[in-house]
Amino acid sequence: MSGTKRGSRNLLEDVLKAGLCTGCGACVTGCPYMAIHEGRIVVLDRCTIEDGDCWRHCPRTPTDVSGFSEKTQGVPFDFLEPGAIIAVEMVRSVDAAVREKGQDGGVVTALLAFALDEGMIDSVVCSKKDAGGAPHGFVARTARELLECAGSSYEAAFTLEAFRKIPAGNADRLAVVGVGCQMEALAKMKAAAPVNGGNPQNVQLTVGLFCGWALRSDIFRPLLEEICDTSRIVKFDIPHSPGTSFDVYTKDAGKISIPLDDIRPAINPACQYCWDMTAEFADISAGSAGSSFHGWNTVITRTPRGAGLMKRAVAAGIIEIQPLPESRMTKLKASALNRKKNALRNLARKSGTREDLGYISGLPAGLVDALLKD
Amino acid sequence: MADIAIDNPGGVVLLMGNEAIARGAIEAGIGVAAAYPGSPTSEIIPTIAAVAGKRKIHVEWSSNEKVATEVAAAASLAGIRSFAVMKQNGLNVASDFIVNLNMTGIGSAGMVIFVADDPGGMTSSNEQDSREVAKWFDNPLLEAQNAQEAKEMVTWGFELSEKVNLPVFLRGVTRLCYTRGNVALGKLPSGGEKKAFFPEIWDMYNPAKSRFTAGPSQVAHKNLHEKLKKARALFEDSPFNSYAGPENPELLIISSGVCTSYSLEAIEELDVADRVGALKLGTVWPMPEKLIEKRLLSTQKVLFVEETDPFIERSVMEFAAGRLPEMGGLAFYGKRSGHLAPFNEQSADLVIAALADILNIPLAPRDPGYRKKAEEAMALVPARPINMCAGCPHRATFWAVKNAIARDGRNGFVCGDIGCYSMAFAAPGFYQARTMHAMGSGIGMANGFGSLGDYGFDQPVLAVSGDSTFYHAALPALVNGIYNQSNFTLLILDNSATAMTGFQPHPGTGMLATGAPAPIVDMEGLCRSLGAEVRVCDPFDLEETTDAILAMMQKKSGARVIIMRHICQLLKAKRKIPGECKMRVDDEKCLGDSCGCDQLCTRIFGCPGLMWDGAAKKAVIDEAICVGCGLCADICPAGAIIREEARP
Amino acid sequence: MRSLTKEPFNLIVAGVGGQGNVLLSAFVGLALVNEGFTVTVADTFGVSQRGGSVTSHIKISKKASYSSVTLEGKADVVLGMEPVETLRALGEFGNPQVVVIVNPRPVHPAGGIPYPDLDLVKQAISGLSARASFINATDEALKMGDPLFANIILLGALMGADVLPLESGAMLPILQERFSGAMYDKNIEAFNRGIDLCRNP
Repeated sequence: MSGTKRGSRNLLEDVLKAGLCTGCGACVTGCPYMAIHEGRIVVLDRCTIEDGDCWRHCPRTPTDVSGFSEKTQGVPFDFLEPGAIIAVEMVRSVDAAVREKGQDGGVVTALLAFALDEGMIDSVVCSKKDAGGAPHGFVARTARELLECAGSSYEAAFTLEAFRKIPAGNADRLAVVGVGCQMEALAKMKAAAPVNGGNPQNVQLTVGLFCGWALRSDIFRPLLEEICDTSRIVKFDIPHSPGTSFDVYTKDAGKISIPLDDIRPAINPACQYCWDMTAEFADISAGSAGSSFHGWNTVITRTPRGAGLMKRAVAAGIIEIQPLPESRMTKLKASALNRKKNALRNLARKSGTREDLGYISGLPAGLVDALLKD
Repeated sequence: MADIAIDNPGGVVLLMGNEAIARGAIEAGIGVAAAYPGSPTSEIIPTIAAVAGKRKIHVEWSSNEKVATEVAAAASLAGIRSFAVMKQNGLNVASDFIVNLNMTGIGSAGMVIFVADDPGGMTSSNEQDSREVAKWFDNPLLEAQNAQEAKEMVTWGFELSEKVNLPVFLRGVTRLCYTRGNVALGKLPSGGEKKAFFPEIWDMYNPAKSRFTAGPSQVAHKNLHEKLKKARALFEDSPFNSYAGPENPELLIISSGVCTSYSLEAIEELDVADRVGALKLGTVWPMPEKLIEKRLLSTQKVLFVEETDPFIERSVMEFAAGRLPEMGGLAFYGKRSGHLAPFNEQSADLVIAALADILNIPLAPRDPGYRKKAEEAMALVPARPINMCAGCPHRATFWAVKNAIARDGRNGFVCGDIGCYSMAFAAPGFYQARTMHAMGSGIGMANGFGSLGDYGFDQPVLAVSGDSTFYHAALPALVNGIYNQSNFTLLILDNSATAMTGFQPHPGTGMLATGAPAPIVDMEGLCRSLGAEVRVCDPFDLEETTDAILAMMQKKSGARVIIMRHICQLLKAKRKIPGECKMRVDDEKCLGDSCGCDQLCTRIFGCPGLMWDGAAKKAVIDEAICVGCGLCADICPAGAIIREEARP
Repeated sequence: MRSLTKEPFNLIVAGVGGQGNVLLSAFVGLALVNEGFTVTVADTFGVSQRGGSVTSHIKISKKASYSSVTLEGKADVVLGMEPVETLRALGEFGNPQVVVIVNPRPVHPAGGIPYPDLDLVKQAISGLSARASFINATDEALKMGDPLFANIILLGALMGADVLPLESGAMLPILQERFSGAMYDKNIEAFNRGIDLCRNP
């Protein structure tokens, strides 16, 4: 049912109240009827528009994933593969300071700073933590601003809020950084530009972030406040080994480890319905899943545009690359596929039938049954 | 009326019912007048206050109707004629006192209580019939037909009060209070010096002697019934009751108050004066039974025309039931028969329809061609819902409330109250008020909701109160909430006036009813001293106000008060304070129908200063209405509403 | 005292709360009482004054004080301060003989309720009256610097139309009592402009 025309009333019923909101931020900014508050989208009043951007751009309204793949990646969609792939490699920033500030290899920050420097882009839509540590959408225009945004917040960041704050007539060359649901929303924006917000055709580069789940600020923040002064937090990490602790680095107390199980109640329940671990609609996707080498990122180069940037960055000595071992590649693919199976299973459980997978539409006949047979 | 105390006996002037009532009280030589503002009575006190100095009258806006009645009664007890004024809801507040005052009596000087009902609820939350209270309290009640009679009844009411040693009710309705008519003026009393003195001095040799304390109530109650008998006897030949029509009419109309005018007009319009008799009852309670009996025995059919309850209808039927069999053949028409309704206003048109039905008179319809054209034209006419004024600070407050409640996300709600901000139950206040009952009930109910924590109640509770309402009835509930540790946030909408009823001063304004300066009862300090956490916001700072409401409603315990302080826009205009800025819509920036805003400014925000230009499909400022408060500039998501330089 | 064509003679002032119908009808009533008529002037009061539709009913008689509200279809003159409110009043109180004086400046209802096509409204008003004069009172008042003058301009137009048993001069002492100094001059200017607009459209 891709292309259904609906408005914020439907968004409220079918996405927000249905527990599907991922916190991507696509619906908010152009709209005076919705706002972000403490990690939630809130509807402030009744909008009667029956064909709204909020519905059109939401990654959890019916989505023709196949159609978007053709459009953004230039290749047909294969639900069994982790998106379009030109190369999968282990990559890290040559600059140790960037690695320190960023996540694992600091590749995302390094690549974007390079793209800014060489002029491929002139601004980056990303997320930045405010004084209290909560992330929100931000447009970085210099490498210095970008570095302030480095590092994962693990919280839904509503990044696309910032994108839609960019005026419609703006001619900036933009990069957008975000997780899978945000890349899907951006793909939907490219298909139909927002009425009042930045022109998606100005987006020169999309950098996807691997994502297992995001935390709900309204539950996570109070949890954090119990253990430290949140304004003194420097960075979060979930170390690969043993993979059971959530580490909070603060200016005063150094590392504070929390059992990952204590954090789980704060995971956004909507994330269980997400199929996209590796941000398949990006030019380049980066993360740590599947690499397990401390200080390195796993990077999937997906489009020629992404490949060009990687090539130039290597040539300029910004990043260094080594091949991803075959076993890691297998593991990465398995995790990505497992995520899709889980999403389908959870969606089928939610609706009560495999015939209705909620927002996911356009999958080949028989595929769902085959995936869910175990 | 330029001077209500003009000394011109016999002169005919145009007076509003409320002005005529004020004049009647002045002609009666009152020394004290007290009230709490309440439409439809609000103009009476200001009218008297305007001549208070000249006529040596103590006039006050009391903090509520009970206090007003007590203040007035004390004057009567001290030998000074007194006048208390209230609307029907106010009578309920004052009742606890009045239902004991009738037991003691009022001493040597008369006391009249004017109470106005509001059939149709034009300016009220209910349309109760206060005449029922007279019966309930065993208290005499008069009901006036028009401004002239209202003036005369006030004056005579004092004589009656002194004759029977009881407060006397004069009952009016909105149409009486707010209809202007010719009034022939009476004589003003000579300004002889009256000395107030309370004669009940403690006698140490007879310490239990006192007329004005509740004695053995069965004795007092017996005396009260004796007094009523006396009043009934006086009513039997009162000139306020009259009959017009044939000696043995085919149908007798018994009516009171403005319904007498409707009845007479209906008789004239149907040209049935030779068939229908009209008995007008001015002395409604206790009912003049001999007069009623005489008229009942002269006819076979009786139609009752009154507002709102079938009060006379029931009383007469009850009386007739005791006169069987001679009255057994009477046919009664009215609310019981369904010819008229026991709710809403009556009108001459409604009486015409009832008469036509009873008398089998075919009604000539309006010109059918015209009627058809008119019906077609009505399809063009849009609804015109009531609204808060352009630039009203309540709009700002409820905008912030709405957004704070939505952000909070725990199904918070507002307990509404009585005042302009009552409109918060509807579109002008974004439908934010979820309860709305009586003065001060918002915070009272918030007390209750906020005490349900043990039952898992976790919704944030907000109460609103106007500044005047705060002093009237919200204060005891605030005390209660603090004492019983209820969990709520009170928003006091301090617009420096009792705005709904016409900008009367109140204890927080530093002004008396006469306009003279007064000490300010500081609500902020008062709330703090009670132990509430208090913040003061200007609701026009939407962001700060929203944050403040959110922060207060998210606290887990204790009573919180936010004073929303911004002057009433109408009061500002009255005081000739210019608007902050001149507003305009930037045609290029307003994306109109193609913006995703869905006409937020006109459809939701709804300030009357903004219009949606249907042709251009864009917003425009109506410069005839906009007062330049500037708030809409903060609402427009496209930044298309522009604040321009301050007005000269 | 001039003669009355009808007993009672019914004038209805229709407008929107806040436009000043109460003041205007009180002025008319005061002048009529000065001339010896018995009048009833009844205004919509209460919450409708806050932007709702309001009417004032003025019943003029030589003999009796009548009730507050005009009988259905019995208006003799409708003074409209706003076009759709004029139409609303005609729907209830109009008849083929009614004379209408109307300010064609719309006041939009709240809540984004669309305003009908003004030309259609004006046509309907003309179609429902024996004679309709359109007086651009708000526009003229804005020219004078304050939209509030619109009601005095309309009062002038009502006098100029010569439909009430009153000479226009009967209004001058009323205005004189109410206003003083520069405000009096301004109001007299507005009043005369109204008379002029009605007589020389």
